[in-house]
Amino acid sequence: MFDLETQIQSWSDHLRARGNFTDADISELEDHLRDEIEDLITAGLTPDESFLISVKRLGNVDAVSHEFAKVNTDNLWKHLFIESVDSKAKKESRRDIFLVVIFALLAGTLIKIPGLFGLGFDDPGADHFYIKNIPLFILPFIAAFFMIKRKANRKTWLTILGTFIIAAVIINIYPSFSPYNTEILSSLHLPLLLWLVVGVAYIGKKWRSSQGRMNFIRFTGEMLVYGVLVSAGVLVLGAFTVAIFGAIQIDAEKFMENYYVIYGACAAVLITAYLVEAKKSIVENFAPILAKIFSPLFLAIMVSFLVVMIITGKSPFMEREFLIAFDLMLALVLGLVLYVISSRNDQQPPNLFDYLNLALILTALIIDGVALSAILFRLSAFGITPNKLAALGENLILLGNLGGLAWLYVVYFKRKCDFIKLEKWQTGYLNVYFIWTAVVAFIFPILFGFY
Amino acid sequence: MNVSKDLIAASATPLILAILKENDSYGYAIIKRVKEMSENQLIWTEGMLYPVLHRLEEQQLIESYWNKSEAGRQRKYYRIKDAGLNELELQRQQWEVVHSALSKTWSKEE
Repeated sequence: MFDLETQIQSWSDHLRARGNFTDADISELEDHLRDEIEDLITAGLTPDESFLISVKRLGNVDAVSHEFAKVNTDNLWKHLFIESVDSKAKKESRRDIFLVVIFALLAGTLIKIPGLFGLGFDDPGADHFYIKNIPLFILPFIAAFFMIKRKANRKTWLTILGTFIIAAVIINIYPSFSPYNTEILSSLHLPLLLWLVVGVAYIGKKWRSSQGRMNFIRFTGEMLVYGVLVSAGVLVLGAFTVAIFGAIQIDAEKFMENYYVIYGACAAVLITAYLVEAKKSIVENFAPILAKIFSPLFLAIMVSFLVVMIITGKSPFMEREFLIAFDLMLALVLGLVLYVISSRNDQQPPNLFDYLNLALILTALIIDGVALSAILFRLSAFGITPNKLAALGENLILLGNLGGLAWLYVVYFKRKCDFIKLEKWQTGYLNVYFIWTAVVAFIFPILFGFY
Repeated sequence: MNVSKDLIAASATPLILAILKENDSYGYAIIKRVKEMSENQLIWTEGMLYPVLHRLEEQQLIESYWNKSEAGRQRKYYRIKDAGLNELELQRQQWEVVHSALSKTWSKEE
């Protein structure tokens, strides 16, 4: 027995599987197919005849799908290396690739230069030098890439490159004494600080605007996801090179160590920046997808942790490492919340993920509150060290960030404010991170006498 | 008569705009209307029509909305916008230039 509905359904499923159609396209074509079928039935054909003829008239699915692909380019990877129609965009894309190659080579060479002056990787004291300076070798090039792309004016160029130079000078003239606490703290906070400087280059003129900053937050998330993928590729290629040359008794490891790792890392970072910028709005963002997958899972773990902590009455250990662990927890929760927010449409009514976000934040705040109360007690008992102060400061800042978000979520759920308020709070809070990382990187060493 | 592919492609935009100027319409009806207007000479395929419709929508010449059909199904209708009317006028002038030029040469041959 011929069932028209089932047939139409399977036809539209087939279209869906082609991947070139949006749901709206499919509804539109399905309506079209039904019109055609109805007309044929009115003309006296049987349903199965009408169906066959209509499908045939609608055209070979591949051909239709191909035509649609030209319009619905949103999800097509082949457009990643932008098949630009107009030659201006094509030229720009070619120039960008050229820039990426040049900048990767320059960055790699810049890292090699200190080696000429007796500061190679294996020389004494070199590890401190490199850990401290690595972001300064690479990040300015990313900033420069975006300033060229955004056609930044001379003032922006001077400000941003000036910031990099000042940071480089300060960080390198500061003395450092064993146990190097402040130096390590500087090295850890400098990359974050400089990344925000890159953000200014990325956003361009409107670096104060909430929207621009939100785009930079999205960019950062995609940088991370793509960075991991590209780095994995670089590693596989490296391992393969060593293995294959090993097969003919040539030891490639020296070359790998001296050149491949350095140039490969620089290239990976710059290519990632280029890719993320190029794919913007062509491919859906990954970070929000990951965040949506993991936020319910994190919530489950944290709630069970909280329950177990209360039932067993055990308070968390108050060593510094654990304080850092709680910092990480807050940072992770912030990341999850942030990337769920980042993919959200402002106009949308509250949905499941908004409630999940609030639950996640509240659980994190409670856990952290318990931990923090115990830590403050320890701090007062054993005195302040730079590490403890930094870890504590981070904790308080993240707490402030999440607390603000939680509060705004509540206000938003009560329909007392627009969602845009949350975004504005978050993007405005970037200033706090900027100031804090600058304080830890540049003022802590002075405060604690460079120890 | 088989109208060449190029000519079909070139005439698609003004035809669609002209049909939508008469009143709002949807894909299936547009194809039927073209067939009718051209006395069965112009047969459009769906694979050609929808991409053009979507492109015109992207160019802000037309806009779409969902509405119920007589049978109660969701149907996507298209409506012409002011920019579309301007574009149609522009295209009309261009076609008239081509048409009058061709007419002159052809009338000489006779």
